Amino acid sequence: MNRLLLAATALAAGLAASVASAEITVYTAGPAKLIEKLTAGFTASTGVKVDVFQATTGKVMARLQAEAANPVADVVISASWGTATSMAKDGLLLAYTSPNAAKVPDFLKTDTAVAEGVSALAIAWNPTSGTPRPADWTDLAKPDFKDLVTLPDPAKSGSMFELVSALDSAMGETIFADLAANGAIVAGANADALNPVLQGAKAAVFGAVDYISLSAKAKGESVEVIFPASGTVVAPRPAMILKSTRHADEAKQFIDYILSEEGQQMVADTYMMPARTDIAAKRPKIDELTLLPLDADKAYGARKETLATFAATFEK
Amino acid sequence: MTGRGGAALRGGAALGGLAAVVAAVLTVIVALPFLFILLQAIFPGIGVGSFADPFAALIEVLGSGNLPRAARNTLVMGLGTVAVTAVIAVPLAALRALFRLPGAAFWDILFLVPFMIPPYIATLGWVMTGQPRGYLEQLTGHNIAGLLFSVPGIILILSLHCFPVVYFALSRSFAAVGGRFADVSRVFGASPIVAFGRVTLPLTLPALAASLLLVFAMAIEEYGTPAVLGTRIGFRVLVTGIDEAIGDWPVDLPGASTLALVLVGLATAAFLLQRRLLARGGFETTGSRPAESGRRALGRWRLPVLLAFAAVAFVSTGVPLMAVLATALSRTVSGGLALSNMGLGNFASVFAAGSAARGALLTSLGLGLVAALLTGLLGAVAAFVVLRTQARGRGYVDVVAALPNAAPGVVVALGMILLWNQPWLPVTPYNTLWILVLAYVLLLLPQPVRYTTAALQQIAPSLDDAARICGASELTMARRILLPLVAPHLMVAMLLVFVVAARELVASLLILPVGRQTIATFIWRQFDQGSVGVGMAMAFVTIGLTTLLPLIVLVAARRADALG
Repeated sequence: MNRLLLAATALAAGLAASVASAEITVYTAGPAKLIEKLTAGFTASTGVKVDVFQATTGKVMARLQAEAANPVADVVISASWGTATSMAKDGLLLAYTSPNAAKVPDFLKTDTAVAEGVSALAIAWNPTSGTPRPADWTDLAKPDFKDLVTLPDPAKSGSMFELVSALDSAMGETIFADLAANGAIVAGANADALNPVLQGAKAAVFGAVDYISLSAKAKGESVEVIFPASGTVVAPRPAMILKSTRHADEAKQFIDYILSEEGQQMVADTYMMPARTDIAAKRPKIDELTLLPLDADKAYGARKETLATFAATFEK
Repeated sequence: MTGRGGAALRGGAALGGLAAVVAAVLTVIVALPFLFILLQAIFPGIGVGSFADPFAALIEVLGSGNLPRAARNTLVMGLGTVAVTAVIAVPLAALRALFRLPGAAFWDILFLVPFMIPPYIATLGWVMTGQPRGYLEQLTGHNIAGLLFSVPGIILILSLHCFPVVYFALSRSFAAVGGRFADVSRVFGASPIVAFGRVTLPLTLPALAASLLLVFAMAIEEYGTPAVLGTRIGFRVLVTGIDEAIGDWPVDLPGASTLALVLVGLATAAFLLQRRLLARGGFETTGSRPAESGRRALGRWRLPVLLAFAAVAFVSTGVPLMAVLATALSRTVSGGLALSNMGLGNFASVFAAGSAARGALLTSLGLGLVAALLTGLLGAVAAFVVLRTQARGRGYVDVVAALPNAAPGVVVALGMILLWNQPWLPVTPYNTLWILVLAYVLLLLPQPVRYTTAALQQIAPSLDDAARICGASELTMARRILLPLVAPHLMVAMLLVFVVAARELVASLLILPVGRQTIATFIWRQFDQGSVGVGMAMAFVTIGLTTLLPLIVLVAARRADALG
C-alpha cells in the first residue's frame, strides 16, 4: 500500500510539474482544430507559447466570471458578439486596433474587439431523406417535413437565440408554432440537432451552424447547407484582450496573427467566413447572404421572455 | 451512524489526533468549496468580491414556477431508476451469490462493462441504435424511438448503467450472509422463500440501502441522459436547468448555485432517510466464526436463469458497446452499416503520434489513479472515525463527508474556482492538474465512505473487543483486524472512484487547467464539432481500458486471497 501511494505521488508530481509556464493564455469557444492550428502557427512565428482553454461560449464566460477576482486569461475568443459588447461596457477589455484589421469591415470590429471569423445559421438538409429540397424556413413547417425537423435549443446556442429573436420580429411568432404543430423537436445543443439528420432519423435542422455542417459534408456526410431565401443571422466571433493582462504585447501579437493572411486562411479552412474581405472563403461569403434585421440590445433585453415563449411553444 | 457504546473506542491521543486531521482535511477539500457555492447563491457579485444584492438570485430562482417541476422530475428520475435498478439487480445478485451459477466469473465481467460505459456515451449509442433509420432499423426494419425518447426510456437507460453497482455490492453481501443464516431458519421450519425474505434479504439491508442510495445520487446528478433524451419531450430536471444557466452566454452563476443547493438538499434528504431506516437492528454477519459458503445447485432452473443473465448482459453491455463500435468504425454517419462505409480511420486519428487523444488518455488514467487512492484513504479514515471512535469532532466529519452527495460537477467546479483562485493565496492548485484531483476527491468522497461504513457495520464489535483483550492498541486493532476485513469493500469503492474520475466530464470541462485535456473533454470536443466517429473511437478505447484495469486488480486480489 505504501509503495503504491509513493508511486501515485510520484506520478502526480510528474503530472503537475509538466504544466508548462506559457507566455499567454487564450480562452476560446470551438472549433478545437482551429485554435490548435492558430496557436501552433503563432508559436512558430513568434516563439511565444500559448496555453488554451477551450469550451462553449457559456462555459468560457462562466469561468471568466468566477475568475474575476484574479483573471487568468489574456485573450478571449467567443462565439457570441454580445459577449464583446457586454465586457466592453464593464470596462474589462483592452483597446487595440490591429494593423491587420484594415481589411476587416467596420461592422466586424470595435475599439476593443475584432472578429476572428463569422458563421451563419442555415438549414442543414439530408438529400437522401426523401423530402423536397427546402428553400426557406417556412418550407420546414410544411407537411413534407412532418416529424422530420430538429431545432437547436436557443437556451444552449447563442446564434439560435438570435435567429429566434430575428424571426419573431420578422415573421411574427407563428413560424415556431407552425413548426411545433408539424412535429418539429428541440434537440439540445447544435451537435444534438445535426446528428439525427446525418443518420436520417430526421430530414433537416432548422438553424444549423453552417461551418459544422459544411465540414461534415466535406467528410462525405450526406448533408446540404441551404441559406434560406428570407434571410438568416450571422454570428461574428469576437477576439478580445482582457484589460487585466500582464502580457499585453504578446496578446496584441496574437490578435495580429489571427488577422494575418496565414491566420485568416486557417479560419477559412474550417468553412467559416474569414473576417478579412481579401481572403477567399470556401463557402458563400457574408455579402452573398441575406441578413435578417436584428436589434441585439432589444433581443438580449428580452432573452428570458423569448426563451420562455419558445420553450412553451414546443412543450407537449 | 452512532457508535454503539461497547464498540466505540474511547479514543486515546492518537485517535483524537486522527479525527482532528481528518476534520481539517475535509474542511479544506469539501467544506470551503461548499461555502463558496453558498456565497455565490446568496451574493451574485461574489466573483469580484462584492456583497451587493444579497438573495436577489435566490428569491428569483426559488420563486420561479419552473423549480417545483424540475425538482419533481428529478425525483421521478431518481426514484424510478432506484426501483428499476433494484428489480434488475437484486434477483441477479441473489442467484449469483447463493447458487452455483455456471460461468459466474464471466457474468461478473460482462456486468462490469455497463458501468464502464459513460452514461452520455451509452445514451448516444442507444439513440443511434433506436432512432428512425438507426442501426436497429437498418438491421431489422424497426425502431424504438417511442420508448427511447420518453421518461421510462430515460429511467431504463440510467438503470442499465447503474445496476452493476447494486449487483456487485449485493452479491458480495449475500455471499457474506451466505446460506448459513438461512439454513438456521430452515432448521426452524421456514420455507426457502420465507428464509430468504425474512433472514437473508434483511441482513443485506445495509449493502442494499447504501448501493441504492448511490444509484439515487448517480441518477439525479446525471446530465447527459436527460439532456439528450429529455430535451425533446420537455422533461427538464435540476441538472439540465443548471447547465442551461451556464450553457450559454449570458451566464447565471447564482441561479446555477441555487439549483445545485436544491439538488444537494434532495440527496441529503435521501441519505438521512437511509440512516433512519438502518438505525434499527444489528447487521453484523462477520462474527468470530468463519463463514462456510455452501452454494446450492440451480437444478431445473439452470436454463431460465442463464437466459435471464444473457438477456440483461445483451441489453446492458452488448447493445451500447456494439453501437459505439459501429459508429467508431463508420467513415460517415449517413453511410450507415454498409461494409463500404467501414474503416479504421477514426481509431487511427485517436492513436496518431502526438495526438491530443493520447495525452488525454494518460492524463485521465493518472488523475483517476491518484484520485482513487486519496479518496479511498480519506473516506475510509473518515468512516472509521465516525463509526468506531468517540473522538470529538466526529459529528462534523460525518456531516461534511456526506455533503458532496449528488453535488453537481459544474457547480462544484465553480466553488473550486472561487476558492482557489483568490489572489491572496500564496500557493494554489488552480490551473494545475491538482485542481482536478481535488474536484474528483470532493465529488466522489461519499463512495468510499459509504462502502466502508457498510462494511464496518457488518463487522461485529466482538472482534474489536477480542483484539483489545489480547492487548492490541486501538490503531493496531484497526490495522490488523478492521482493515483486512474492510479492504475488499474499500477496494471496490476505489475502483469505482477510479472509473468515474477517469471519465468525469462536467466539472472537468470548466476547471480544466489550460493546455490540458481529459478523456471526457476530448470526446466532448469531438461531438461538439460534429466528429462523432472519432469521439466514439476514443470512447471505445476508454471503455476497454477502464474495464481491463479494474479486472486486473480484482484478479490479482483474488489470487492473493487464494494464496493467503
